[in-house]
Amino acid sequence: MIKTNDYLVKKMLDEQAKERSAKRALQIFHKFKISPVLGYLIFAAVLIVLQSLSSDKIISTSFISAVGSTLIYCIVALGFCLLLGYSALASLGTAGFVGIGAYCCYYCLAEYGVGVGVAFLMVIAVAIGVGIFVGVISLRIEGIYLAIVTLGVSQIIKEVLVALVEGSARISFKDIVLMGQTYSVREIKGAVFYLIVAVLLILMWVVHNLINSPTGRAMLAMKNSTSAAQAFGISLMKYRLLAFVLSTIMAALAGLLYMLYIRSDMPSTSTLLTLSTSLNILGAVIIGGTKSIWGTIGGTFIIFGIDEMFLQDIEFFNENPTLITIVCGLLVILVVMFFPGGLVQLVRTGIFKLKTLFAKWRVRRYGIEE
Amino acid sequence: MCAGILATFAITLIFKTSYTTNFAQGVISALGAYVAVELTLEHGLPLWGVAIIGVVVAFGVGVVIDVLIFRQGKNVNALGKQIITMGLISLFVGIIPFVFAVASYESVPLQPFIPLTEQLVIGEGATRVAIPYNTIIALAITAVLMVLVFVLLHKSKWGLSVRATASNEIVAGMMGVNTKVITAISWGIAGALGAVAAIIYVGNATFSSSLVMTSTQINAFLAGILGGFITFHGPVVGAIIIYLLNAIVGCICIHVPELSMWKPVLVYGIVMLLVLIKPQGLFGKKMVKKV
Repeated sequence: MIKTNDYLVKKMLDEQAKERSAKRALQIFHKFKISPVLGYLIFAAVLIVLQSLSSDKIISTSFISAVGSTLIYCIVALGFCLLLGYSALASLGTAGFVGIGAYCCYYCLAEYGVGVGVAFLMVIAVAIGVGIFVGVISLRIEGIYLAIVTLGVSQIIKEVLVALVEGSARISFKDIVLMGQTYSVREIKGAVFYLIVAVLLILMWVVHNLINSPTGRAMLAMKNSTSAAQAFGISLMKYRLLAFVLSTIMAALAGLLYMLYIRSDMPSTSTLLTLSTSLNILGAVIIGGTKSIWGTIGGTFIIFGIDEMFLQDIEFFNENPTLITIVCGLLVILVVMFFPGGLVQLVRTGIFKLKTLFAKWRVRRYGIEE
Repeated sequence: MCAGILATFAITLIFKTSYTTNFAQGVISALGAYVAVELTLEHGLPLWGVAIIGVVVAFGVGVVIDVLIFRQGKNVNALGKQIITMGLISLFVGIIPFVFAVASYESVPLQPFIPLTEQLVIGEGATRVAIPYNTIIALAITAVLMVLVFVLLHKSKWGLSVRATASNEIVAGMMGVNTKVITAISWGIAGALGAVAAIIYVGNATFSSSLVMTSTQINAFLAGILGGFITFHGPVVGAIIIYLLNAIVGCICIHVPELSMWKPVLVYGIVMLLVLIKPQGLFGKKMVKKV
């Protein structure tokens, strides 16, 4: 009788120790966990190293150029992530708002000859104006009408730009003043790359803080149930409008950076102003994971980055440029239907499985810790 | 305008039966038009025949989309459905250049049913108005289709089932309406009407890309908002109002050339103003949602 009891106690202690060691194994993993802001800084540092490698001719210029334009789309996608992931609104006007930023920048720099700083402020002011105007009208009716109204606005912006800008818009001046320093045409691309990284870093930090603040929580509550959110005193209109205006500002800023980086565009043939741009941004955010900053950036690199960085050199993809569109559309449908978390969810599940495997292996290898 | 009215009805039908704004409507109808264009230009078949084939293909595509995607995703929320239709645009825009040889043409010279030079002339001198017979045929097709659809909707058993599904899908199912079939057929009819719209539209304008129907689709959505998606006839009246508005603003722009650049902004602004005054649309009434 006593013997059995002893056996049971020993077995119980064994199990407890096993659990402890599994926990300890997980803690080892947590030691490697870094704060999100540090992660953003590391990301920016890697990009800056890439750029300096390219100025030393170690990395090809076309590669770094593709990275630069992908980063611009990352800024747009970040704004869209705020709109889609945190307030459950879809907009199809992204391309139009990017266009507003780009051509506002063109007019400020090339026509009126003001500095980049003034252009920055102008673009933000215009974006706020347009965002509030479009947002107030469409959000007053119902959330799902935003996509319809913005689709129309985007088309109109394109038509007006085609009429407004005859021929192609080209910032064709010799040098450009940025942060008190004058850059010549040859240096400008590198300088703008650093500017893009800086803007992206700041916006990532802003979005990170916003989604962890009471405002972000209010938006999330609104996304999950509008009725419940209203019952808690959250004004739907206020937070939806805030998210929409913020995403408009980000899109317009990305447009400004696009104009500075590419330095020429033509409204009638531009790929920037088409519906496909809006759809690709949407695809990037959905595929990456709507509620995560890293997911959004990963998704953008998948949709825009891989195509521009690697696939352009392969003949098969060069001959069939629409293949990436098919993949994007198909992935969007599949992700929405079967895998709402997106890529980030996949990675998280993967990491969790790895952690449990590691814990099991540790117990088998080193035995049970006392 | 004919294309716009047909597209508006198609979008309303899907909005009522599937509770989503179908952004892929334009691409599905363009697909139907591409089938027709491909068969005439590459294989030399007569236009009337291929138009029917194009419409049938669009009907099939609509049904397939509903059966394969929307029937499976019953637990997808409203935003998810909207996003799926946006994904469908990407999918079709990508697929069309693969399948159709005509997609690589710069612009596709699809002949209208009757050459545009043959016109019906009314009056003489200053009051002379020339209308191409093609436009009259397009108007006739639209009128016949719309009358047919509305008669079916209000008199036939199918129409009753559609209206029942539109007002409440679950209750309609309990009452013995096969809502799955109704929804699938609605998608098919929407696709077919869209294809008719696209073929009419392409006969009058140049056919440059698979996104050719985008502006028609935008007008259709606007018409839906303006007329209110609550009723079936509201959006159609909205579409007529928008096209009349377009014509009026166009007339003003002829006299004031400086305005012509802002013509779309003006039309859009007036419609938005109307919506601001009546948020539920001209024919809509406030829907009270019970929690």
